[in-house]
Amino acid sequence: MVKSIAQKEFISTLRDRRFVVLSMLVLLLLLAATVVGLYSSHTLQQERQVAQEEVNHQFHNSADRHPHRMAHYGSFAFRPKSSLSFLDFGLDSFTGASVFMEAHKQNSANFSQAQQSSSLIRFGEMTVAFVLQMLLPLLIIFLCFGAFTQEKETGTLKILLSQGVSPRQIAWAKIAGYSKTVALVVTPALLLAGGLLFGQNGLDLQPDMLWRLLLFMAFYLVYFFIFIVLSVVVSALHQRSSTSLVTLLGIWILCCVIIPKASANLGNTLYTTPTKAQMDADVHEEVAKGIDGHNSQDARAEALKKDLLRKYGVDSVSQLPVNVDGIIMAVGEEQSTKVYREHFEKLTGTFQKQNRISELAAFLNPYLAVRHLSMGMASSDFPHYLHFQNKAEEYRYHLAQGLNHIQATRLKYHDKTTRLSSDTWKEFKPFTYETPPVHWALRHHLLSLTALVLWLCLVCTVGMRLVHKTQIV
Amino acid sequence: MKKFWILIKYEWLNFRADKGLLILVTLTLLAGLYGIYYGTTEVQRQQQNIAGLEKLTEHNVEELKAKYPEGTDAGDIGYYHSTFAVHHPDSWASLALGQRDVNPYYIKLRLLNLQSQLYDTENINPQKVLAGNFDLSFVLVYLFPLLIIGLCFNILSIEKEQGTLPLLLSQPISLPLIVGAKLTFRMLVVLGLGLLLSILAMIWGKVLPDGRVALWLGVVMLYCFFWFAVAFLVAALQKNSAFNAVTLLGVWLLLTIVIPALLNVYVSIKQPIPQALALTIQQREVVHGGWDKPKRETMDKFFALYPQWRDTTEIKERFVWRWYYAFHHLGDVAVQDLATQYKQTLLARHELVQKLNVLSVPVNVQGIFNAMAGSDLPSYVQFLQSATRYHDSLREFYYPFLFRQITFTPADFAREPRHSFSSAPDVDSAVNGFVKLLGSVVVVFGAGLLLFRWKTASVK
Amino acid sequence: MIHMEFALEARQLKKQYQDKLALKGLNLQIEPGEIFCLLGQNGAGKSTTINLFLGFITPTSGAAYINGLEVATNQLKVKEYLAYIPENVMLYPNLTGLENLALFSSLAGFDYSPESLMQYLIEAGLPSEAATRKVGAYSKGMRQKVGIAIAVAKRAKVLLLDEPTSGLDPKASNEFSDLLLKLSSQGTAIFMATHDIFRAKEVGTRVGIMHEGELVDVLSTADLNANELENLYLNYMHA
Repeated sequence: MVKSIAQKEFISTLRDRRFVVLSMLVLLLLLAATVVGLYSSHTLQQERQVAQEEVNHQFHNSADRHPHRMAHYGSFAFRPKSSLSFLDFGLDSFTGASVFMEAHKQNSANFSQAQQSSSLIRFGEMTVAFVLQMLLPLLIIFLCFGAFTQEKETGTLKILLSQGVSPRQIAWAKIAGYSKTVALVVTPALLLAGGLLFGQNGLDLQPDMLWRLLLFMAFYLVYFFIFIVLSVVVSALHQRSSTSLVTLLGIWILCCVIIPKASANLGNTLYTTPTKAQMDADVHEEVAKGIDGHNSQDARAEALKKDLLRKYGVDSVSQLPVNVDGIIMAVGEEQSTKVYREHFEKLTGTFQKQNRISELAAFLNPYLAVRHLSMGMASSDFPHYLHFQNKAEEYRYHLAQGLNHIQATRLKYHDKTTRLSSDTWKEFKPFTYETPPVHWALRHHLLSLTALVLWLCLVCTVGMRLVHKTQIV
Repeated sequence: MKKFWILIKYEWLNFRADKGLLILVTLTLLAGLYGIYYGTTEVQRQQQNIAGLEKLTEHNVEELKAKYPEGTDAGDIGYYHSTFAVHHPDSWASLALGQRDVNPYYIKLRLLNLQSQLYDTENINPQKVLAGNFDLSFVLVYLFPLLIIGLCFNILSIEKEQGTLPLLLSQPISLPLIVGAKLTFRMLVVLGLGLLLSILAMIWGKVLPDGRVALWLGVVMLYCFFWFAVAFLVAALQKNSAFNAVTLLGVWLLLTIVIPALLNVYVSIKQPIPQALALTIQQREVVHGGWDKPKRETMDKFFALYPQWRDTTEIKERFVWRWYYAFHHLGDVAVQDLATQYKQTLLARHELVQKLNVLSVPVNVQGIFNAMAGSDLPSYVQFLQSATRYHDSLREFYYPFLFRQITFTPADFAREPRHSFSSAPDVDSAVNGFVKLLGSVVVVFGAGLLLFRWKTASVK
Repeated sequence: MIHMEFALEARQLKKQYQDKLALKGLNLQIEPGEIFCLLGQNGAGKSTTINLFLGFITPTSGAAYINGLEVATNQLKVKEYLAYIPENVMLYPNLTGLENLALFSSLAGFDYSPESLMQYLIEAGLPSEAATRKVGAYSKGMRQKVGIAIAVAKRAKVLLLDEPTSGLDPKASNEFSDLLLKLSSQGTAIFMATHDIFRAKEVGTRVGIMHEGELVDVLSTADLNANELENLYLNYMHA
C-alpha cells in the first residue's frame, strides 16, 4: 500500500511537465555552477600559486642583505584555494588573499574579491552551494505543497483513508516518493562535482578530501529531507493548496533571505568591532611599556644589556659572545607578538561572538545550519580563514625570530653593514599552507551539526504527530 | 469613476479583514524600520570611528612631542608619525550602505612608500559582510518585491477560485476596472509604505535635502511600479494562484539572485584584476632593492622627478633619511602604471556592470541607490586617489625639512596637512539608471496590457 | 435592430467549444413578465446559454439580446438590465452578508441605506443576526439567500437563474418560488435553468427542454400537468 503510494507520487511527478522543466532548469544551473565554480577557483588558485612561487623564489635568491633588512623585506602568504571550495565559495570572496609578513608588524590580509567588485557581488554568487541551499528547497516546496491539500481538494484523501491507511503512512509514502524525485535531480550534479574533483586531483586524492566531499553531500541530503518532510507536514496542516503553497513560500523567504541577513546584522550591532587603527594603537601602547625592538635607548633594553654583561662576566657589550642587537630585537619581537596576539584573539573573539548569533539562529532555520556546515566542509568558513591567518602569523614570527637569531649569532654588535649571502635565506623553508583535517572542521561546527540533527528529529517526530492530526473534512 | 472608488473601498474592507496580508505588511514595515535603524547606526559608528582617528593622531603627535621636545630630524617624524586619510560617508549613506562595509573608510599613512599602505584593510568580519547589509535599500530592493508579490499574486485568480467573479461581472463593471482598482489599492498601500519608510529614513539619517529626495522617491515609486507591472503581466496569463505565486517568485529569484550572480561571474571573467598581487610583489622588490643600489643612482632618479632638490648636498653617510624616503618614493613610481591600471580596471568592472544592469532591474536600482549615496566602488576609487594626493602633499610638506635638513620642531606638527574626503553622489549615473528603470517599467507594463487585452477573460 | 417587445432574445445562437458544439443555433424570445424554465441534463447547454446571455462567453455565431441590446457588443450596458443568481453563490468570505450586498448593489449603481439593505436580506430569508456575520461561516443555503437579495435589490428587468434553489431547503424553495411569481407580476422576465421538473411546472409560464445543445421543445405549462411534463421530458432524453 505504502509502496504503491510512493510509486504513484514518483511517477505522477515525472509526468508533470512543469516540474520536469523546473528541475531541468535547476539541474542546468547546478551543472553550470559546478563548472563556473571550478573555473574561477582554478584561476584564483593559479594566480595565487604563481605569486607564492614568485615570492618564495625572490626570498631564496634575494640579494646579499643584513638579516634585519631581510626581516623587513619579509615574505608573503597567499591563501591557497582549497580543492573543495569550488563547491561553496563561502567567505573566500570576502577574505583577503595575501598577507605581507615582516618583522615587528602584523599586516592585514588584503585584496579580497569583494573589494575588487562593485556592489553586484552583494547579490550573491553562483555556486553549487547556492543552488543547493536556496533553489532546491524551492523546488521541493513546489513538489510537495499539494501533498495533502490536493488529495483533500479532489476528495481522494477520504478514499485513501477508507482503505485503511493512516495519514502518517500516507505522509511517509509521499516523502519516500518525493525523496526519490529529488535524488534524481541532485545526483547527476553531485556525481559531476565528485568526478571533476577526482579528475582535478588524479588518483592522489587524499582521504580527508573524500571525507569532506562525502559529508558535504550527506549534510545536503539531510537538509533536503528536512525540507521535504516540512513541506509535507505544512501541506497536511492546510485545507487548500494555494494557502499551503503561500505558507511554504513564506517559510522559504524567512529562512533563506531574511533570517540569515538579520542574524548577521544583529550580531554586528550587539558586539562592536574595534577598528584596526585603534587596535594597532593599543598594541603600540602596550608594547611601549615593554621593550621596544627598535629603540636601544630604552631603559629596559639597558637592563637587558646589564643582565647579559653580568651573565657572561664581561664589561662591555662588544665583548659579549653574542650580538646584543639581535637579542634585543628577539625579545622585542616576542613581546610585541605576545601583545598583538592577545588583541587579535580578542578581535576574533568578537567576530566569533557575532557569528554565534547566526549559529544559534540555525535552531530556528535549517538553512543556516547547512550553510555553516557546507562552508566548513568546503574550508571556506571563518574558522578556516582564521586558521590560515594564524599559520601566516606563526610563519611570520618564526621568520623574524630566525633572522634575529642569525643576527645575534653571526653578526657583531652594532654591525649594520655586513651582508649575508642568499645561501643564508635558503635555510628558511617557504610558507606552505595545509588545510586542517575534516574532524577539525567538524569540531568548529558542532552547534550547526546539532541544529541540523535536531531539525531532522523534530520534523520526523513533532511533524508527523501534526500530520496525524490533519483535518480531513 | 464612482464604481472605481467603491471597489477600492471594498478592497480595503477585505484587506483589513485578512490577517495574512496585515502580517505581511507589518513585517515589511518592521523590516524597513530595522533597516533604517541599522543603516543609521552603521553610519554613525563609522563616523565615530573616524572621529576616533583624530584622537589617535593627536595621541601620536603628543607622544612624539614628548619624545623630541627640542625637535628632531624630520625623517624620524616621517617614520614614527602616522596620520589618516579618511573617507567620510555621504549623509545619504545610511539609506544605502553599499560597499562601505567591505572597503576601508580610512587609511593609516606614514611617509613611507604609499603602495604598501594604501590597500590595508579594516577589521571586518567576513561572515557578516557575506550576509550583507540589512539597510533600507535591501528592504526596498529585495523585500518590497516580495510584499508586492504577496499582495498581488492572486489579484485576479482569487476571484475565480473563490467563485465571486461571475457575480461581480454580472454587474455593470468591466474586468479592467476591477483589476485596475485592485492594483491601485495595493499600489496605495505599498507606495505609502515605501515612501513613508524612505522619508522616515531621510529624517532619521539627517540627509542633505537636495534633489536626491525627489530622485530617491521617484526611484522607489518606479521600482514598485515595475513589480506591479510584473504581477499584472503574470495575472494577465489568467492562471491559478499557485501558478502565479511560483511564477512571480521565480521571476523575483531570477532578477534579484540568479541573473546578478551570473553577471558577477561574467564580469569577473571578462574583466580580471591580475594587477593587485603583481603590484604588491613588485613594489616590495623595488623598495627593498633601494637599499642595495648606489645612492647616487637612486638620488639621480629622484631628482629627475623633483629637480628643485637637486642642489642639496651629496650623500656620503651610510644612512640618511632623505635617501631612504627617496627610494621609498621610487618604489611607488615603479608601480605607478600598475596602480593606475588597477584603479582603471576596478572602474572598468563597475562600468561593465552599469552596462549590463539592464538585464536585472534590482541590480539597476541597487546601483542607483548606491550611486546616490556615494557608497559604491567608484567612490572608493576616488578615495584611493584622494589618499594618494594626500600622501603627495605629506611628502611635499616633509621634503623641505629633509632636503634642507631643517629640524622638525613640535610646532611644525600644526602645519602638517590633514586629510578629509567625503564621497560625492554620482547623480548622473543615478539619473541614467532612472531612465533605464522607466524604460523597464514601460516595457513590462505594456506587455502586460497587450497580454491582458489579447487573452479573453474566462470567468471560471 | 431593436426588439423592444422582448426582454430576452436569442437568434441562431451557436457556441462551438474546441471539441464540442455546445449550442446548435438557439432561437428564443422571452417577454417581460414571463418565467421561462429551461430543463435539460448536465451538459445539455443550459449553462452555456446563460453564460451567453451574461456575455461571459462570446457566441460562435448568432446573437443574444437583452432588452433589445446585443449582449456581445454592449457588455456593460446590458448588465444594468439583468441580475444573475449562479448555482453556487460565492461571496467575499472576509466580508459580512450585509457588506457583500452593499458592495454588489453599489456597483450596480444603487445607494441603499443599511436599513433597506437589511430589509432585502430578510426578505430573501436570511436571519438578521446572520447578516452581520462574515460570509466565510455561511452555509450554502445562506449564501444562496444573499445571492437572491443581491438580484432582487438590483430591480432588474431580466433575471438569469442557474439552478438557483440548489442548496435551499424545501421551505426556502417555496418562498423563492413565491418571490419569482411576485417579480414576474411586476414585469420582470425570468430565465431559469433547472433540473426540477415540478418546480418548473409550478412557477414557469413556459418550459423549454434542451438536449445536446438543441432546444427540442417548448411547452406552455398551462396545457399540461407535472406528470405529463415528466414523461415528455424523459422521452426526449431517451430519444
